[in-house]
Amino acid sequence: MPTGPESASSVSRRLLRLLLLPLALLLGIGVFFDYVSGSATIRSAYDRALHEMALAVAAHLRDADADGRIDADLPPQAVAVLRADSVDSIYFAVRDGDGHLVSGDADLAAPAAGDGSEFGDGRLHGEAIRFVTHPTLIGRTPVTITIAETTRKRSAAIRSILTSVVLTDIVQLAGTLLLVWLGVRYGVRPLRALGEQIAQRSARDLAPLDRARVPAEVRPLVHTLNALFETVRDSARAQQQFLADAAHQLRTPLTGIIAQLDLLARESSGNGLGPRLLALHEGTRRLAHTANQLLALARSERSATTHDDFAPVDLEALATDAVAQYLDRSLLARIDLGAEAAPARTLGSLWLLRELLGNLVDNALTYTPAGGRVTVRSGTAGTIAFLEVEDDGPGIPPDQRMLVRERFRRLPGSPGNGCGLGLAIVDEIAHAHDARFAILDGADGRGTRARIEFRRA
Amino acid sequence: MRILVVEDDALVADAIRRGLGEAGYAVDHVDSAERASTALGAESFDLAVVDIGLPGADGLTLLQRMRRGGTSVPVLILTARDALADRVNALDLGADDYLVKPFALPELVARSRALIRRSRSAASAELVIGTLRLDLAARRAEVDGNAVSLTRREWAVLECLALNIGRVVAKDRLLQAIANWDEDIGANAIEVYVSRLRTKLGGAAPIRTVRGLGYRLDDAPG
Repeated sequence: MPTGPESASSVSRRLLRLLLLPLALLLGIGVFFDYVSGSATIRSAYDRALHEMALAVAAHLRDADADGRIDADLPPQAVAVLRADSVDSIYFAVRDGDGHLVSGDADLAAPAAGDGSEFGDGRLHGEAIRFVTHPTLIGRTPVTITIAETTRKRSAAIRSILTSVVLTDIVQLAGTLLLVWLGVRYGVRPLRALGEQIAQRSARDLAPLDRARVPAEVRPLVHTLNALFETVRDSARAQQQFLADAAHQLRTPLTGIIAQLDLLARESSGNGLGPRLLALHEGTRRLAHTANQLLALARSERSATTHDDFAPVDLEALATDAVAQYLDRSLLARIDLGAEAAPARTLGSLWLLRELLGNLVDNALTYTPAGGRVTVRSGTAGTIAFLEVEDDGPGIPPDQRMLVRERFRRLPGSPGNGCGLGLAIVDEIAHAHDARFAILDGADGRGTRARIEFRRA
Repeated sequence: MRILVVEDDALVADAIRRGLGEAGYAVDHVDSAERASTALGAESFDLAVVDIGLPGADGLTLLQRMRRGGTSVPVLILTARDALADRVNALDLGADDYLVKPFALPELVARSRALIRRSRSAASAELVIGTLRLDLAARRAEVDGNAVSLTRREWAVLECLALNIGRVVAKDRLLQAIANWDEDIGANAIEVYVSRLRTKLGGAAPIRTVRGLGYRLDDAPG
């Protein structure tokens, strides 16, 4: 049984969609904030170090003669220590209240100093720098100390924090998504199992579904399905019972009428009533045949058959029985009826399969002319068990091979007085057994080979 | 020879009575299982034709009662239900044959004759098929009163076919029947014996070849 399109209503897809997208978004936001806060920490740490350098420089300044002239008492060693950095270049400038350079690098511009220490970004010698301006009073003289450093170390630190934060976050994100995916898959496994259990069943298998292993959410569904199965089973049973009763009620009077007409026709063979009684007898026999076929069709219909009474069936015995049963008719029709029966078994209903084969043999004997040959076969091929009835009669044209399975359909100009239900019955019974019914060419392209392929048992 | 017909439908019962009467049998008819039991207790019959669908106790119950009571009268079951359960049940319960309605009267007569002959041959060790007479005890065959000389293997094949007259006997079964006399039987042995039997018996008892299955001994025509 094919499963329907999954995309629209797959529970696991829905769960994944509902969980994965918001989770990914949430984790993305987390990465962003981790990055922002991480880099802010680094920046403030480096800024503090810069500020401390400014304070250290300030500690070396004194208003020597209290005349407003600042003495930058920065020994070369101190300057060397100040500038010592393997990675970044450090610049400094000390300016008095008028903006005159007292000490340090002249090209380090002094931005307008405010009331407190201020940090800023700029460029020097073509490189990005971070600087701090630290206004202070030396004695009573306002002095501005500017310390700047290139941002190589900062950038490296931020880069490394970015890398580690984003990496851990990505691993975390991937792990979470994987867990969610696995969880959803595992979570919907009982649903999948139920789906498979249903998909693998034959449409006519009406045994109740096992409710024990079904999750609580779909238990009402399974319960309803089982109730439905039960109803269908009951109605099939009721239909079979009705048909059995109907068969009895129809066949008994027909038997009486046919037998009486037979007797009457023989008693009247000398007078003029004989031929009329024979015709009546023949007509009634046809009526009985049609009634039989209608009953067989009704009993083999999908709505009336379940797999409840299926059991292993010996197709070889079925084939040889059919030959033995129809031998007299074949002798009368001067047709060579024979068997090529090899062992084969399938699961099915014995009386339905007997009905099926009987109809195929009956058809073959009806449409094969005298002197012809009809062969009933059974056998296996791979996983298939088959029944076959082959004749060397006129055959069925390929474009008619589907049509002849329809009810009351007979090929134009066909002999005999069948009611056109035989192949419809075969078709129904094959369906009821999930078997394949094919009408093929006979040997050498002559005649008909009707083949039913069952699952081998 | 006397036949008991147990059938509740008057039209069917009447036709069966007439049909079997025409064929030379004495026929008693009852319409219920209870009356059938009474009749079987009072008289002796060569065959009982029993419809399954009887009012009250059905035909299968009657069959069961008969077999439990030790009655060995052959029973031909009539049924209007084609469900296999009926057929299997009937044969399991000891029916000798069954016919599904609607059947042709000549078929009923032929089956009745075959059943009676089979049960009589078991009792008398003698089998008469048309002009062919088989003495099962002495293993002798006669056609038109003239003894036919048969080898032991030919006799074994003929006996096996005759005891199953009107039924297809599988080749394997015939092989088993002669296996007692012959340790080394070729695959074509049966065909050889059958062909010799055909020559020796002439038209007295036609042996038909059923392609792929075996052989069937038919009643001589007429």
